[in-house]
Amino acid sequence: MMKLTEGAIEALSNGNGGNEAVLQLVNIRKIDGGNGPARFRVMMSDGRHTMTSFMLCTQLNYMAEENTLAPNCICLLKRHVTNILKDGRRVVIILEIDVLKPASEVAGKIGDPTPYTEGQAKGTQPAPNPVNRPPLMPQNGNEVNRGFSRDFGKKASSAMPSTPGGGSKIVPIASLNPYQSKWTIRARVTNKSSIRTWSNSRGDGKLFSMEIVDESGEIRVTGFNQEVDKFFSLIEVGKVYYVSKGSLKIANKQYTSVKNDYEMTLNGESTILPCEDSSDVPMVQCDFVSIGDLEVKDKDSIVDVIGVCKSVDEVTRLTTKTNREVSKRTLNLMDMSGKMVTVTLWGEEAEKFDGSGQPIVAIKGAKLSDFGGRSLSASFSSTLMINPDIPEAYKLRGWYDKEGHAMDGQSLTEVKGGSGGGLTNWKSISDVKTEHLGHGDKGDYYTCIATIVYLRKENCLYQACPSQDCNKKVVDQQNGMFRCEKCDKEFPNFKYRLILSANIADYGDNQWVTCFQESAEAILGQNAAYLGQLKDSNEAAFDEVFQQANFNTFVFRNRVKLETYNDESRIKATVMDVKPVDHKEYSKRLIMSIRKLASQ
Amino acid sequence: MSGIFDIPKPRINCSMLSQHINRPVCFVGRVEKVHPTGKTFTVSDGEEKTATVELNEPLNEELYGIVEVIGMVSNKGAIMASSFNILREDKGIPFDLQLYNEALKIVYDFPQHYPFQTTVSE
Repeated sequence: MMKLTEGAIEALSNGNGGNEAVLQLVNIRKIDGGNGPARFRVMMSDGRHTMTSFMLCTQLNYMAEENTLAPNCICLLKRHVTNILKDGRRVVIILEIDVLKPASEVAGKIGDPTPYTEGQAKGTQPAPNPVNRPPLMPQNGNEVNRGFSRDFGKKASSAMPSTPGGGSKIVPIASLNPYQSKWTIRARVTNKSSIRTWSNSRGDGKLFSMEIVDESGEIRVTGFNQEVDKFFSLIEVGKVYYVSKGSLKIANKQYTSVKNDYEMTLNGESTILPCEDSSDVPMVQCDFVSIGDLEVKDKDSIVDVIGVCKSVDEVTRLTTKTNREVSKRTLNLMDMSGKMVTVTLWGEEAEKFDGSGQPIVAIKGAKLSDFGGRSLSASFSSTLMINPDIPEAYKLRGWYDKEGHAMDGQSLTEVKGGSGGGLTNWKSISDVKTEHLGHGDKGDYYTCIATIVYLRKENCLYQACPSQDCNKKVVDQQNGMFRCEKCDKEFPNFKYRLILSANIADYGDNQWVTCFQESAEAILGQNAAYLGQLKDSNEAAFDEVFQQANFNTFVFRNRVKLETYNDESRIKATVMDVKPVDHKEYSKRLIMSIRKLASQ
Repeated sequence: MSGIFDIPKPRINCSMLSQHINRPVCFVGRVEKVHPTGKTFTVSDGEEKTATVELNEPLNEELYGIVEVIGMVSNKGAIMASSFNILREDKGIPFDLQLYNEALKIVYDFPQHYPFQTTVSE
């Protein structure tokens, strides 16, 4: 028979209970607290007393849901935090607990414990002295009890400058909840977003977010407007800070991979102070998913991955829908599953990334997409680490250098269209039509090799707003001024931009496509400004440009989507990218396709 | 011989020479050795095999790189050149002989799709 730690209940209810108490679980009950995750209330016994005011932290809910924690089981309380409610009652929040003996192996209740009266004056037992003790000092609101954390808690609080509300003790991130406002956490910033702005009918504003971690867990923190001004410049990724008095709310899991049911919003009362002594606060916490397992994960889920960078592409620039230019780079990661996945990096990370020497790349919070089978995208909320100093990285390095390098690596990011050539979805124009590409909700992308058979000269140039990044068509005021509705301004000048209709053909079919600025310039071999000038000054030369451009062959990357105007639906094809044909590459692909077809 | 430019000249590599004896062919290869007389030189194909090209008149220019030779295959399997043309590699992409060889094999493996030889037979 296992021995319970007699006296532990008394100690816990006095707020000075240690850890490693062996207790018997008497009862466990689910509390439905409206929205948010369910909470479990637990009644524990030490053989002498029982106490009902134990709560399971939500991270451990699974133990109740899986019936690991069931009446009569014997547990080892490994880590807890005591919260004092407004009326002075203490609630012991269980942060870590082990089941020493499952309920099925325990005969029944051990001993004859009596309820330990605690604030609620229930039971007939005369209340012992320490019961119903109100918190003496606000600092005692929380007491973290865990050998090591207790030490650092003390150290930290002595080193901590006083906060507006008086110094509250350091608590672990895992114990944060919306019902508790007096706390300070000590955590490392693992990721910080840039400042993002929004503007809608309700006004505009800005925000930034960061992810912070301590040894108990992690949480996402967001600051708006004033808090952006106040804290953004202070926060440095990798540094440790004391954070207190944020508002906690239920996390929106859609946007984050952070493993916490809550997230924090900074408010006017929040403080963030740098902490110098930070060696004991862990670095990023990752929960790596094997690349082989990505296939069974849901689209859009946020995952942490680590792999060897097998290959890397050159950085490319593209223009987003909002007319912003961004850099993009793709790389292939392989791990010990022998599977490979394509990861896209964006912006500065894409530009800075150096894939030489096949480094280990870990990405926290990559978004899984089903583009081309399975691929990953490292978004603004992801953290990219090259050769991180973590055991997984060393393991992977060892494996790769020994055997992994010889493996081919089966890519999850499949190549559509049957022929080789990276991620390119090669199609002939007739394929595009017979396969009904573009009839889906999102539009389809494909690449083809085609020849210009006709260029529509008429209306291929328009007068656009001269301000940078605004390409809106301007209205000629007929007084030498040009008005841009978008900028709500008048300008004495405009810039010419191209919107070129072209008919392209391959061996089987032809297709009308729309080419914008860059792609049209590539086809015509002249820039828009020069063409505008020619059009106004030398019609013959202007025509000549179009004549010259006919019957040239290019690699087109097109987007097709079914669009409806006035009840009439038709496929609209837009050229995303035009490149000269790499004949060597093209020949190789054709030969491969022929051999493949022949072997079928 | 005069009519060689008017009739089809199948593209071949070294291994196909023996099947084209006394027929006009087109051979693309890399110049290996030019004979001191300037009347003959060797070329290698995409499989690194070599063939001999014989000229009617000695070369009056330096010959190197990739050449396209048009001529008849002699009984000994040499190519009696009617003309040749240097494919310049200095501008643009270097000529990929192996890839060219792969393409050649496709033509021979699928004659139904590449009916070039049929007119040669008579």
